[in-house]
Amino acid sequence: ASSPSPSKLADAPHRAQQTLAHPHIFADAAMAAVATVSSAGGILAMLHEPAEELKLHALASLNSVVHLFYPEISTSIPTIESLYEDEEFDQRQLAALVVSKVFYYLGELNDALLYALGAGPLFDVSEDSDYAHALLAKALDEYASFKTRASKATEEEENVDPRLEAIVERMLEKYDKILPFVHILLFIRWSIQLTVTLCCRCVLDGKYQQAMGMAVECRRLDKLEEAIVRCDNIHGALSYCINLSHQYVSHREYRCEVLRCLVKIYQTLPHPDFLSICQCLMFLGEPETVANILDTLISGSKDDALLAYQIAFDLVENENQAFLLNVRNRLDSQTPGQSNPDSGSALPVDQTVNAGTTSTEPAGDVQMGDDTTTANGNAHPVDPNEAAHADKLAKLKGILSGEKSIQLTLQFLYSHNRSDLLILKTIKQAVEMRNSVCHSATICSNAIMHAGTTVDTFLRENLEWLSRATNWAKFSATAGLGVIHRGHLQQGRALMAPYLPQSGAVGGGSPYSEGGALYALGLIHANHGEGIKQFLRESLRNTSAEVIQHGACLGLGLASLGTADEEVFEDIKNVLYTDSAVAGEAAGIGMGLLMVGTASEKAAEMLAYAHDTQHEKIIRGLALGIALTVYGREEEADTLIEQMTRDQDPILRYGGMYALALAYRGTANNKAIHQLLHFAVSDVSDDVRRTAVMGLGFVLYNEPEQTPRIVSLLSESYNPHVRYGAALAVGISCAGTGLSDAISLLEPLTSDVVDFVRQGALIAMAMVMIQTNESFDSRVGTFRRQLEKIILDKHEDTMSKMGAILASGILDAGGRNVTIKLLSRNKHDKLTAVIGLAVFTQFWYWYPLLYFISLAFSPTAIIGLNSNLEVPKFEFLSHAKPSLFEYPKPTTQQTTTSAVKLPTAILSTYAKAKSRAKKDAESKAANQEKTAEAESKANQEKSTAESKPSQEKSTDAESKAKTTEDASGSTSGEAAKTQEKDGDAMQVDGAAEKKAPEPEPAFQILANPARVVPAQEKFIKFIEGSRYVPVRPAPCGFILLRDTQPSEAEELVLTDAPATVATGAGNNAAAAAAGQGSAAMAVDDEPQPPQPFEYSA
Amino acid sequence: MDPKLVEVTQLIDRFKAAFKASNFDVCSTLLSQLKVLLTKFPSLPPVFQQTPNAVEELKLAREIYEQAVILSVKMEDQDAFERDFCQLKPYYMDTCGIIPPSSEEYPIMGANLLRLLVQNRIAEFHTELELLPAKALDNAYIKHGVELEQSFMEGAYNRVLSARQTAPHETYIYFMDLLVKTVRDEIAGCSEKGYDYLSINDAKQMFKFSSDKELQQYIAEVN
Repeated sequence: ASSPSPSKLADAPHRAQQTLAHPHIFADAAMAAVATVSSAGGILAMLHEPAEELKLHALASLNSVVHLFYPEISTSIPTIESLYEDEEFDQRQLAALVVSKVFYYLGELNDALLYALGAGPLFDVSEDSDYAHALLAKALDEYASFKTRASKATEEEENVDPRLEAIVERMLEKYDKILPFVHILLFIRWSIQLTVTLCCRCVLDGKYQQAMGMAVECRRLDKLEEAIVRCDNIHGALSYCINLSHQYVSHREYRCEVLRCLVKIYQTLPHPDFLSICQCLMFLGEPETVANILDTLISGSKDDALLAYQIAFDLVENENQAFLLNVRNRLDSQTPGQSNPDSGSALPVDQTVNAGTTSTEPAGDVQMGDDTTTANGNAHPVDPNEAAHADKLAKLKGILSGEKSIQLTLQFLYSHNRSDLLILKTIKQAVEMRNSVCHSATICSNAIMHAGTTVDTFLRENLEWLSRATNWAKFSATAGLGVIHRGHLQQGRALMAPYLPQSGAVGGGSPYSEGGALYALGLIHANHGEGIKQFLRESLRNTSAEVIQHGACLGLGLASLGTADEEVFEDIKNVLYTDSAVAGEAAGIGMGLLMVGTASEKAAEMLAYAHDTQHEKIIRGLALGIALTVYGREEEADTLIEQMTRDQDPILRYGGMYALALAYRGTANNKAIHQLLHFAVSDVSDDVRRTAVMGLGFVLYNEPEQTPRIVSLLSESYNPHVRYGAALAVGISCAGTGLSDAISLLEPLTSDVVDFVRQGALIAMAMVMIQTNESFDSRVGTFRRQLEKIILDKHEDTMSKMGAILASGILDAGGRNVTIKLLSRNKHDKLTAVIGLAVFTQFWYWYPLLYFISLAFSPTAIIGLNSNLEVPKFEFLSHAKPSLFEYPKPTTQQTTTSAVKLPTAILSTYAKAKSRAKKDAESKAANQEKTAEAESKANQEKSTAESKPSQEKSTDAESKAKTTEDASGSTSGEAAKTQEKDGDAMQVDGAAEKKAPEPEPAFQILANPARVVPAQEKFIKFIEGSRYVPVRPAPCGFILLRDTQPSEAEELVLTDAPATVATGAGNNAAAAAAGQGSAAMAVDDEPQPPQPFEYSA
Repeated sequence: MDPKLVEVTQLIDRFKAAFKASNFDVCSTLLSQLKVLLTKFPSLPPVFQQTPNAVEELKLAREIYEQAVILSVKMEDQDAFERDFCQLKPYYMDTCGIIPPSSEEYPIMGANLLRLLVQNRIAEFHTELELLPAKALDNAYIKHGVELEQSFMEGAYNRVLSARQTAPHETYIYFMDLLVKTVRDEIAGCSEKGYDYLSINDAKQMFKFSSDKELQQYIAEVN
């Protein structure tokens, strides 16, 4: 009893200070008569008073001063606790509150929470104090973890403290009072989300979001439902929840539960948002319901049909081939049931017709939808309603098959192609002929630059140069054609015909080009290979050359991506069991591609073979293949990942890293990140470490801002492999974002001491900067110049030179109209894109795999469609400076052109732009013609001034205008219109160039279809009162437009694209008669397939 | 005048009357009533709300607690003394400038020091001492306690025992009596260690007992 409490000692100086101001010492001091308490001793003494009222009074006083005197009070906690435990005492809860606060100040949050629960209603959840905030956060944490634990072990009874539940429920009820707490909680739990919430708050009431977030976190779906239903903006709330469930619910099954709950709410609404429902259903994998919804919609009004189309387009964007196939099949089986009384007979007929087309027609053009339509149409030619329905159904299936979007994309990429041939020319001249690495890199760069545009001018102009590619380089070069013609579904076969293995003729071409052609076919039909599958299988079976097998395996894998087709699997497996290194590697990857995301037991089979074989190449191919099979399966994949990461063989551990990365792709799952980081620093094999770091990029691509922070330390590692991995991780996860942090991290790596690190950094940088122009981030310009310097430098290492060449390709990929996007607009992962990048990173071992990057490209376009799925004339607004998002300026021929002369060029353009602007006001087609003339004159002037910044471009445009005229031919109205469109495009250029003399306009009008880069999307506005109203106002991708004046004639654009006239009948003949035939049947403006190479080998 | 104030004043008067009549039971019931009444005054610590009656209220409250302390001595209730003193202390320490110092302050502080000494809580004794201004050490009441503690520490127990006669305040007598007991306990503790045996006479002298009987009684108590 003799030792004083430490708290009293601690408090002593404080009191001593008070004493200084004691009136006994400074009696005369004219002090303000403000008294403060210096000790809680008096109040504590009062606790011992026998009278209840005094105890009460003491407790109340303590409650008000606890924040000042908790050290003193802490010694009396037993006294207060005994008050709380005293059943007779009528203010037990107050005592509990005081104890809770003291514990809180002592940092004992668990005890504090315990007593706060004891305080019952006295614990005020709406109080705005640190204490309340901290305890609430703690309470929620506890509750959420209770719930999570309870859900994990369901047999374990839920023994959640009912009091805790009561608190959380009170919180959820009071969500309108706890706004300040919103911030705190979000900070603790979802710090990133804070910004999102703040952004959304203007749109949606933040408090409800808060409630929803907590409900989701605490696994209280009932409360979630309540919050959503009570919210005044139900649609906003629901879409917020969907977002929430994708971003913050890490457990896959629980996420499904949340989504199911959301779908349930959606369906009870009077006007359900079918777009969102279908998205949810797709995630849940319920094609049946989606098919039902679509079917109901197309049976409805015209607007409903539009909506159905829009849904279909959105579903296609997510690239889930197996799901789409299911939906299509369900639609097939439903339609006869509804429209046809004798469904039993109609159904098999349809199917046989289908089967017949795919198997008998070697051309294999994907026309499944059309066939079915004709079958239906023939059966009931009389009923107009039914015919309309069948028509709509056919369109819908056309969309779902992906054909429509691929076709439109192809048209867009072709018509808007802005690739800069000069860059390629520079590269070609700089690269030494004998250096085959750089040579094939250049070919690859060309392929990437023109991916999906069908423009192969460069190849045709340099046939002789091209023919230097021998052996595997030839394989790659041929495969490159597939990238260029990607999505050219109708004529892909015909285009590749000259290189394909000829079944009849013996020894037609080299096996390398034949194999490459099969691979190219796969790239063309990637993820939409229904039609080509059969042909590829036959080619695979008919050959024993391992190079051709290699190409065929890759091609088959690509074409039947994720379909898990048993027969195809068997075919590829047979190749695998021949145990040939070259073919086996491709077979491994091909099997993986085929089984993407199925998590089938085939993986075990593959793993067993990987242990059996001696060939490293095969093991590597299988390792990647196994990783692909667990794509997106999250927790389900853990066993397999564990098995692989513990393997003795570093190559299988390497595969394990891929498995980890792909299983948890885009989830930012902490466990996965933790594991990857662990391997990145602890594994003995450089390959595994490199891949582990790279895997971070895949796991984090949904939160690109995080990646540079997480890998920043690794990017300074002593191990060049880790640095390389860090560069690619940033490149993958920040692809297409132009994120400043990412660029800052990559910049030093581009001048690393090790050549392959430079290579990786250059490629990654290009991926980050794709579609970012110099006015958006000045470092883009610096980077372009750096690339040029590296390419031109004679002494640069081959590795980094190759990186630079590829980087220039990626930077201007797809005619500058595509970006790398791993997430669809609805935050679903884009399977093809992720898979494409994953296999692409494998180029470290095998250059032909470089071409897989083309799978990751998605066009940055807004394409508006009317109810006939045609592209009407339609304009919208981009509310930002045009220069921010314009195409990069074409390079000039002579880089030495003096800068002094540039201003004159600008001035002339300015004058030109001004004069045109005046004329534009009149907006007459005739005037447009004149302008074009004036322009060409202006261009001539410019070229004489030796500065040709826009010459290339405008001549391009001009030639395009001409071809347009040719194409649309007879209808002069249309010709004028396309002219107008081109005029608009030039207007944009002109406006961008006149920055010096006049502030550039703050907005620009874009015409359908338009290039809209991702960063620009938030500036897009649809003009009010225009003829077409978008069904869904999201500013990207395919948008169905509702025509407000349906009686008037529609003006259509985008008729100048290739291959719209795909005639199914002619195709067969074309396929038979190889090169010439296909050229003949193509439209005038259709680029001709390059002549067969003269092989020197 | 505020009715609450009036009520309290009347009660105090009754309390004082009862106190004079040494009717302590009445006193303690009145006192607890008073204390409850005090909880209604907002100007008292720890709130110190500035009300027009603040000075009056504070003075009254201080007086009540002073009386309570004195009463506890009279009733020989050490717990009550500590309790009331603790509650009184804020009025001495924290009411700077609002009410003039009380005449009872030092006697009560001194009594408290004695109490700590009696309870052998030397550390707290010194803490209390540290909190007092330097000047206060010259005060007779305080000085008494300080000197006692010094003698006690030195082991000059005879001085401690003889100081009973020089107690400056009547309330101190009670504590001095208790102190004798404390001192004897100390001596007993020491002699237990120091001597193998002790004659009755030596012990009687050492423990300052006047008779053998008293000594026997003490020995019985200790054992």
